[in-house]
Amino acid sequence: MMNAILITMILALLLPIYEAWQDDNIWQKMLAFASIATKTSILILVVAVLRDDWTIGVVGVLILSVGNAALMLLAHVLRRLNEL
Amino acid sequence: MIDALSYGLMGLGVVFWFWGTWPLLGHRSVLYKLHSLSVSDTLGSMAVIVGLLLKIPKEWPLLVLALISLAIWNTVLGYVLAYCSTEGGGND
Amino acid sequence: MTEDWYVVAIVALLPLTAGMLVTQVNPYHALVIRGILGAVAALVYALFGAADVALTEALVGTMLSITLYAIAVRSSLMMRVGVLAPETISTSGEAEIVAVSEIDRSHPTAPVLSALRQSLGKYHMRLELVTYASPLALQAALTTKDVHTIWLTSKETLKSEPAESPASDSAPVYQLQTRVRRLYEILQGQLPPTAELVYVNPTDSSGLKKPPEMGMSDDSTETSS
Repeated sequence: MMNAILITMILALLLPIYEAWQDDNIWQKMLAFASIATKTSILILVVAVLRDDWTIGVVGVLILSVGNAALMLLAHVLRRLNEL
Repeated sequence: MIDALSYGLMGLGVVFWFWGTWPLLGHRSVLYKLHSLSVSDTLGSMAVIVGLLLKIPKEWPLLVLALISLAIWNTVLGYVLAYCSTEGGGND
Repeated sequence: MTEDWYVVAIVALLPLTAGMLVTQVNPYHALVIRGILGAVAALVYALFGAADVALTEALVGTMLSITLYAIAVRSSLMMRVGVLAPETISTSGEAEIVAVSEIDRSHPTAPVLSALRQSLGKYHMRLELVTYASPLALQAALTTKDVHTIWLTSKETLKSEPAESPASDSAPVYQLQTRVRRLYEILQGQLPPTAELVYVNPTDSSGLKKPPEMGMSDDSTETSS
């Protein structure tokens, strides 16, 4: 049961990866990046619970917040880029 | 009982994920995609985490922290992305 | 092993995103794909139990390196063009950066600017205009490598270089002098007939030179400022 949920999650992860590959607009790519950053960290949490491993879970929570911070920094740099 | 509820919540979360990610493939505006992504993606992720929380309650501080950071960060991120994409590029 | 085949599915995402990254030509798109690769790599590392490696990948590989590279690419893929300040703005010799859209309205130079931006856009470069108060300060900025290109009207070139005055009537109104050979090759033939492009050797103080032959030498004149 848990494996089936994990596999469907990986399938859901493939959708934004395809989107990031086929779309040429930078903001659409950023949206796909945001989706992937959230989905991978949730997957890390699921794997952590599946294996009952506390350290992986801590890393998953940290990545959940850090990945979004990187996204915001990059978004601001790209916005300044379009201004000039 | 708890097991079935947790699996149901996780399945619901995955369904929300597909629902939120599927509009990403179309040729719509950034804000439309951002709306569906931020609403149903966050809800789906939170449903998955609540399902995990029901499954293994002894790791509750970690998963509650994940829930809180998910809710706050994704809301802020939605605002930041909307602000940045409309201010600079002019693509509505 | 049979119940762990989701591990194979997740690990297969890593070469997939890496292939996407190396086939990307736009540097900014490549930065976003690099973030995706970092997220997937952190997932794979966490899957194999290397929690510390996953955390390092997310913190350094994704956040720090992407931010630093975004700033580096943004400041190096750029052509700085020195222009004369309009008479209404009396700057005190201090160079100041103006937005391109500001110049668009007030100058009859819109076709030249748009042609510049279009031909630079093919190489994912940006245009930045820097205003100077006098033609002398403009020439000094070019020789001190403060800007890559200076923008003169033919009146000002007449003032400074009388021998270079164009003879025919259909002469270009604007003259763009660049000190970067690669920029000269990129922009050659791309500008409208109202502007002419001249290559200036920065080490030679005697002024204008004849345009060099294409591909004669490829010295390392990158566009980094």
